[in-house]
Amino acid sequence: MNIHKVKQIINAKVICGEDLLDLEVKMGCGCDLMSHILAHIESESTLLLTGLTTPQVIYASDALGLKAICFVRGKSPGDDVIKLAKERAIILMNTQLPLFESCGKLYKEGLKGISENEQRSEILKDSRTCL
Amino acid sequence: MRISEIVKELNLTVLTGGDFVDREINGGYVSDMLSDVLANSKKGNIWITLQTHLNVISVASVKELSGIIIVKRRKPEEDSLKKAQDEKIIIMSTDEDAFHIVGRLYELGVGKNDEDI
Amino acid sequence: MSKEVRSSKIQELAYECKVEEAMTADIVTVAPSDTMVDVWMKLKDKRISGLPVVNADNLEGIISVEDFIKCIIKGRKDEQVKDIMTSDIKFIYTDEPLIHVLKKFEKHKFGRFPVKDRDTKKLVGIITKGDVIRCLLNRFEKDYYEEEAQKNKMCNIFKDIKADKTTILLKYDIKGKEFKKAGEKSSFLKNALLRLGIATDITRRIVIASMETEMNIIIFTDGGEITVSVEEDKIKVNAVDSGPGISDIEKAMLPGYSTAPDWVREMGFGAGMGLPNIKNCSDEMKINSKVGEGTNLEFIVNI
Repeated sequence: MNIHKVKQIINAKVICGEDLLDLEVKMGCGCDLMSHILAHIESESTLLLTGLTTPQVIYASDALGLKAICFVRGKSPGDDVIKLAKERAIILMNTQLPLFESCGKLYKEGLKGISENEQRSEILKDSRTCL
Repeated sequence: MRISEIVKELNLTVLTGGDFVDREINGGYVSDMLSDVLANSKKGNIWITLQTHLNVISVASVKELSGIIIVKRRKPEEDSLKKAQDEKIIIMSTDEDAFHIVGRLYELGVGKNDEDI
Repeated sequence: MSKEVRSSKIQELAYECKVEEAMTADIVTVAPSDTMVDVWMKLKDKRISGLPVVNADNLEGIISVEDFIKCIIKGRKDEQVKDIMTSDIKFIYTDEPLIHVLKKFEKHKFGRFPVKDRDTKKLVGIITKGDVIRCLLNRFEKDYYEEEAQKNKMCNIFKDIKADKTTILLKYDIKGKEFKKAGEKSSFLKNALLRLGIATDITRRIVIASMETEMNIIIFTDGGEITVSVEEDKIKVNAVDSGPGISDIEKAMLPGYSTAPDWVREMGFGAGMGLPNIKNCSDEMKINSKVGEGTNLEFIVNI
């Protein structure tokens, strides 16, 4: 689904990246731990949902090639974080919903967890390396 | 909904506290930040997290959460399991990631009643 | 390349490529007052299968070779276009991805769609299934050549410089306990590696491992240094600090084991995945550590 739809499902507000909302995401990851994100997210088409609003969220997402982050529980990042995201063309949004409801609603509408797509992401990974 | 039902539906492994599977679940909470769980979770919530250290048990006990589901095959430390036994906390484990487990719980009806929006 | 891999790459391209890239912009049109014979002449002349019907810059309908054939069968070749054309026009915008076009072809069973510009609302082109397929195949081929060129670019840094051995060294000073900037140096490293032409998947692994290394220095020590050595066949990352040292390296390598204090966990660090992550991302990893003196970590990613 694209970010327009994500925004609609969890009633999110766009903080930056308004012109990038056509971006398609295939998986969701709800997590507050940087190491977990770095260890387990394989696909760049993953939407990150988190309550952490530190610069490290942007650095870690950028290392993974993620292009969309949604802060939950009404959290808002500081200007320094927004600046880092803009420099890297990463969409930032936030929702008043807690992480539980955000993940629940998105899952219901078809966004899958990262484990379910490990097989698909293996195929996509191969397609990038063996062309 | 009882813990026993979600253990069955989601194929969870009970690591400790099997005696408490009849507990009622009242909504769900997913977070890896203890300060956040302390501030925002509600009594009876089922807590989904990656964290495995001792303080997780204290927080679950203080907030009277119905149980803890640890995701992505993470194994709690020995002290955590022992403390969970002492505090009568049920800890379950799954290979799946948090997003998937939450999605399934939500499908089963957990947490749908306490939406503020 | 397996069929599965090829088809998922093409699927990716269907999301990435836009209508603008695939459509035919040089449009042939007919007027509503033209006859079906006029339509036939244009279709035959240009070897196309359908035409938009335009009246003074306005798109009024669409007419196809199937419409012409039906007319012939009924003996009505002198009919005017406006009486035969399909006026319920389904069109596409230039900025839509090709996957939308494919879905519309499925849904409506038409052979072509007129293309409009979203801002001016003017007719700017026409798109057929053939156009979509041609575009995807061209892109597929182009991406393949780009990947090959990328590989060459990287090799060229070393080929063009005549030396018995060429190494590019990048050094980063890491300040201890400076949490705000944790990850910044790894972000600089990412840009540097991509600039040097290192492939994205290799860069990703190095940057993830480097980020974990950087975090460890910042969380546990008063500071250290990360040196990245880019060689022809591998990239070596060496991190050194004079921090407290790791008392039990074996334990530290276990996923989930962490000596991080609670307040660090609250910042999203200290999940105990750092060293295992570095090991998973690299082809070789070595740690030397002495309690009270510091730690030297080295990992290698082969190119």
